[in-house]
Amino acid sequence: MIKGIWVEGPVKKGVLDFLNGLLAEKKIKAVLMPAKNKGGDSYAWFLMGKDRLLESADPVPPVMTTQGANVVSYLTKKGPVWEKTAVLLRPCEYRAVIELAKIKQVDLTNLVLISFDCPGAYPLEKYVNGDPEELDESFEVCLGGVVELDGPRNVCAICHRFTGTGADIEIGLMGGEGKGFWLVPGSKQGEELLDGAVGSESDNIDVREKAISDRTIARETKRNNTLDSFQETVMGPENLLNTLSACINCHNCSRVCPICFCRECYFDSKALSSEADNMLQRAQRKSGLRLPPDLLLFHLGRMSHMSVSCVSCGACEDACPANVPVSMLFALAGRNTQAVFDYEPGRRLDEAIPHTVFKFEELKDFETPYIKEYSKV
Amino acid sequence: METMIDSRMMMTDFLTALFDKLDVAGVAVMSKLPSGEKTAFTLFTGKDDIKECVPFFPAMPANAARAVSKFTRQAVPSKTVAVFLRPCELRAFTELIKIKQASFDNLLILSYDCSGVFPFQEINLSDETKLNAYRDAVSTGKNCEGIRPVCAACTRFTPQGEDIAISFVGRSTDQPLVFSFPSEKGLAAAEQLGLDVSNTVAASSAVESLAQERRSAEEELTAEVDASLSDTQGLVNVFDRCVSCHACSYVCPICYCKNCYFDSQTFEYFPESYFIRMQAKGALRFPVDRVLFHLGRLSHMGVSCVACGMCEDVCPVNIPVSQIFKTAGSKAQALFDYIPGENYDEPLPLLAYAEQELEEFED
Amino acid sequence: MDEKKEFTPSIIYGLCSWCGTGGSETAGAMHLQYADNIRPFRVPCTGAIDPVYILRALIEGADGFAVSGCHPGDCHFDSGNYRARRRIAVLKSLLDTFGLDSERVLLRWVGHGEGKRFADTVNEFNDYIKEMKKNPLAERRDT
Repeated sequence: MIKGIWVEGPVKKGVLDFLNGLLAEKKIKAVLMPAKNKGGDSYAWFLMGKDRLLESADPVPPVMTTQGANVVSYLTKKGPVWEKTAVLLRPCEYRAVIELAKIKQVDLTNLVLISFDCPGAYPLEKYVNGDPEELDESFEVCLGGVVELDGPRNVCAICHRFTGTGADIEIGLMGGEGKGFWLVPGSKQGEELLDGAVGSESDNIDVREKAISDRTIARETKRNNTLDSFQETVMGPENLLNTLSACINCHNCSRVCPICFCRECYFDSKALSSEADNMLQRAQRKSGLRLPPDLLLFHLGRMSHMSVSCVSCGACEDACPANVPVSMLFALAGRNTQAVFDYEPGRRLDEAIPHTVFKFEELKDFETPYIKEYSKV
Repeated sequence: METMIDSRMMMTDFLTALFDKLDVAGVAVMSKLPSGEKTAFTLFTGKDDIKECVPFFPAMPANAARAVSKFTRQAVPSKTVAVFLRPCELRAFTELIKIKQASFDNLLILSYDCSGVFPFQEINLSDETKLNAYRDAVSTGKNCEGIRPVCAACTRFTPQGEDIAISFVGRSTDQPLVFSFPSEKGLAAAEQLGLDVSNTVAASSAVESLAQERRSAEEELTAEVDASLSDTQGLVNVFDRCVSCHACSYVCPICYCKNCYFDSQTFEYFPESYFIRMQAKGALRFPVDRVLFHLGRLSHMGVSCVACGMCEDVCPVNIPVSQIFKTAGSKAQALFDYIPGENYDEPLPLLAYAEQELEEFED
Repeated sequence: MDEKKEFTPSIIYGLCSWCGTGGSETAGAMHLQYADNIRPFRVPCTGAIDPVYILRALIEGADGFAVSGCHPGDCHFDSGNYRARRRIAVLKSLLDTFGLDSERVLLRWVGHGEGKRFADTVNEFNDYIKEMKKNPLAERRDT
């Protein structure tokens, strides 16, 4: 397999040229990727391919409006696409796509997954309330992987899986210093598509690998430290409920979560509705009942359902109207629950979700041993 | 106009009396949370915690009608429960009763004339400056700076259909409460509370001055929204940023459907159909059916929209949803001369027909 | 009486229809005494216990939650107990993450004939929870 193709020149234009080339050669029939919206103050996803890509298409957008995995799921939930379609995804979106493929909410047939070395993203609120042009500019500077993004989302600042490892084609930005990028094949399919791409056979790709491993090490430390100190602020009922005190129980975090795919969420179901007298009893036991009820149950329960698959994409926090640090809570929960099974969501398609496979001997730590002698009665 | 009575009671006395004299099983009211800077609508069953209650706190973290609907939908309480609702919440509650999503059996509904609320993100219990400014605005009958645009333009800020009304605008919060009792339930409660009905108080002039300010603000808002929606493109532009999270419908008290049509399988298509639409339009924006969602939702619940503003509060990309829904909703309501939440007995316009009506819409 | 003696924890005990319940029956047949403040509830299989049920019990007033079902390899439905074990592992690490006393959740397999083991488990867990005192979450109104 070739290691990569170096494409010199501006990054975004180069990527669009490459995709337009694939479209023109009919190697792919459509592209699903973000593009600037009409008003220029946000982004949306577009399925393109009638002729060329939209002028406003942006392979590396500075915000995540809708999680890409949700979009891929909309497209393929009812069946595979019949024509080869390239999808441009952030690494976290790519990982969520893989997780969704495992639970059959995405059909990967005929999809070409393309990801990139992600510089992070701005909080959605900051982008739509701020000056988009200014933010676009300072985002552009970070594409080369030299400068860290200024004021990214909490969860982006501690992201240690910022490359699209495993995707059919990776767009290598790290180490390119903004002068260009590498097209790195990650699969047979990717390699075929790169055949004939404009660019030079790469002999300098080590630079990228070095830059990635440096940042990965730095980010892993930062992630663990940040999550550890965050954990201190949410430990115990008092701290945890303090953190959740702003929550209004709107469940928007679960609606935008790519992993929360259930059409009817348990926490919106009749299972949690009860009669007035029952609620009065609860209020009596707890000397008061916060309405709407079951707020802590929702968060902890949702964690128990999906935190092993949480890809730390931060969509939940972007969507939270009350500025609860949801994505940090879930990153923390996910780190710990995933560690139990040595599982990393989205790492490999053939790695089963922990809830679906079992071993005869495992998890002894979570059972309480019976040490008493079995005496005859 | 009901007679207003000076109760000689402060709020805590009143809440205690609800338990002691009216023997209610519970009181649902805005209260401080045990930790943090925020408030939440809370159900209390004893008078021990009522010092935590802040009924007039200018925040609406959730439309209480939704909570009370959840409380009464399966089965009503077997003993009386007192419920504090803002006028818009009460209107929403009334609408929900009409569609059988709530019941007022065994509820004693308390309301007050509302001076508006801040966006819930922007107000904390310790924001003394804001709260002081709010208090001043209440006592003088003005719109406080920083309240939600849809509150500042709310002309239906006096409650309708409550059992006990507390006069709030034009009064100070450290004076005894002034009540009126518009319903039979309320009058019975007044008797049990043992109020001296001879202590009548005149209505405050601040109410009228606030109403005037609100009316002109409403006109301005309507003109503004009308201008921004003047053509089809206007609507598309307003919802350009929308990320289709549907949070607006989830917090909407009127949008009660458990399975929203716009989240249903109807809007999931086979990949082929996406490609056909892409071919027709050149490029297809995802998530699809964004404008359809907003217009469709408006067509479903616009006549019942009480302009409570929750939708706008939760929008993650700050679209002025409730300003649009208020304006568009009141136009739809005007067609049927319908005011949502005004009267329990008035049927929803889409459920009551006349043989001869709306001829201007026929060709 | 001191405070500790007065505290009677409320403990929910999830038992599968096949082994856990069987264990309790055997304990009864053997006339074994065990704490009477546990509230057993029967599920078809421990694999049917969603962590949310446990969370809900803990948030709404239970001081402890125990789960017993068939030993590994014995599950009537082949792998339900493995599922339960994984789910409880997730739940316990979540509770640990947020400092919410994961010891209030107990998982121990009890076979149909193990009446003694059942009674011991109940008593042991009951004593343990007594030591732990009341569940703080159960008394918070802002949950």
